[in-house]
Amino acid sequence: MLKVDINELIINNKKTLLSNIKFVLENNLVYTILGVNGTGKSTLIKSITGLLDKRFYTVAGSVFFDDRDILKMNGEDILELRRDKIKYVFQDAVNSFDHLKPFRYYFERLAKDLKQTDALLDYFLLPPKEELFRLYPYEVSGGMAQRINFVLALLAHPQIIILDEPTSGIDTAISNLFLLKLKEFARSASNAALLVTHDISFAEKVSDRIAFLNNGRLSEFLPVEEFFKAQCYTELEKFLNSYRQISA
Amino acid sequence: MNFIMQVENLFYKVEDKSLLGFNRIEKLILKDISFNLERGSVLGIAGESGSGKTTLAKIIAGILPQSGGKISFNISEARTKLKTSPVQILFQNNGEILNPLRTINGIVEETIYIRTGNKSGVIDEKENIFGSLNFPEELWNRKGYELSGGEQQRAALARIMATRPEILILDEPFSAQDAESQMNLLTLFKKINKDSGTTMICIAHNLKILRKLCGSVLILYRGEIVEQGNTDKILSSPQHPYTRFLLNAENYNLTYEELKTEF
Repeated sequence: MLKVDINELIINNKKTLLSNIKFVLENNLVYTILGVNGTGKSTLIKSITGLLDKRFYTVAGSVFFDDRDILKMNGEDILELRRDKIKYVFQDAVNSFDHLKPFRYYFERLAKDLKQTDALLDYFLLPPKEELFRLYPYEVSGGMAQRINFVLALLAHPQIIILDEPTSGIDTAISNLFLLKLKEFARSASNAALLVTHDISFAEKVSDRIAFLNNGRLSEFLPVEEFFKAQCYTELEKFLNSYRQISA
Repeated sequence: MNFIMQVENLFYKVEDKSLLGFNRIEKLILKDISFNLERGSVLGIAGESGSGKTTLAKIIAGILPQSGGKISFNISEARTKLKTSPVQILFQNNGEILNPLRTINGIVEETIYIRTGNKSGVIDEKENIFGSLNFPEELWNRKGYELSGGEQQRAALARIMATRPEILILDEPFSAQDAESQMNLLTLFKKINKDSGTTMICIAHNLKILRKLCGSVLILYRGEIVEQGNTDKILSSPQHPYTRFLLNAENYNLTYEELKTEF
């Protein structure tokens, strides 16, 4: 459904951050990119819909969605795509919102179904809309803002949701809610989800396919069990070893 | 038992004032908290967001006043005379806390000077602290915003160690780190505890990590201690349903119905 083929991603015309990134997102699956902090995971997912600042980043390649190259779309089309088809949930959830607008603003513009709004707010243990719509982004905690972001993404009925470190800064019970909802989303219609994270246990439970990003290169997406058996990288082994030591 | 701190029947409440001050609602954030902290030990505090973990830490450090109950410290007179507080907290948002106009070097040197009131020996002690925290020399003259999140955390820790704390409180030190950095931090905290004998309290929602660091643990649920004692024992045979809930949540094994349970 989404075909990513990025030959090279360069910063400031000098440093190559990512090269030879190729993968396809198929319908009804959850994909995860694992990697340590600072390997370019967030940059990679931002490049998919051309969110990187063109003054600093040069992206050579193509991203095909419904037979159209996103990287060659004009401004209007790309805004429409980001509004309706491919939604993001960023790590810095509080600052994803304009601090001078209450949540009402976002829900009224983005939600396609107000009944579903009530159900989702309840699901994510958020205040009912009468209360929530009056609040401003700076009045909620980081974890709450992240859930609100996810609810807004779901309400837009997109085909793809991309999440950046969905579990960082939120406790495990709430992460559990994320996990269940994310799977449910991916299984319905012709949807798919892509997430980047360093949380190995979350990745193991939520994903259908996992790949490892290291030194600017992305491994092949493998089914979860195979991924953890394949000892293809020493870096990956090191990463998994620390995790095993902690969970032992 | 040699206790460095004893907390007895601690309460903390806030008043939720609605418009014009009508309908004052009192909300209990911490209810009847009692525990003893053994000198040189590492105590874990676990619980979900909003269970009162950070509030408890702030009250212990004297940042917030308690609404009721008693906290008694058993700290030598010589230590209490120093200008730096014997109880220190390593917060989560170190990037915002480090002064952006000053170098890490300057911050740590000044802290040592404030504590000792003596300029000689400052350089040696500073080098010792940086050395024990593996804070590389090329970063000494940087400012807070020029460091990565993990480096900022070490810089903030260096400043805290310069105050020679008797009790060091770590507030979710692992939450934004990947597994490798978590392992490095674990080793570092264990080393600080062993080398300087500093008593520690570690707040985390990740029980797996607490098991690696803390001899004993408190489980907080909505401001109350639901279980406390030896970490291995509690985690291997949890008595309270909430503790079992936390352990299952950590493995992402809960269904929606279970997640909605109240205890």
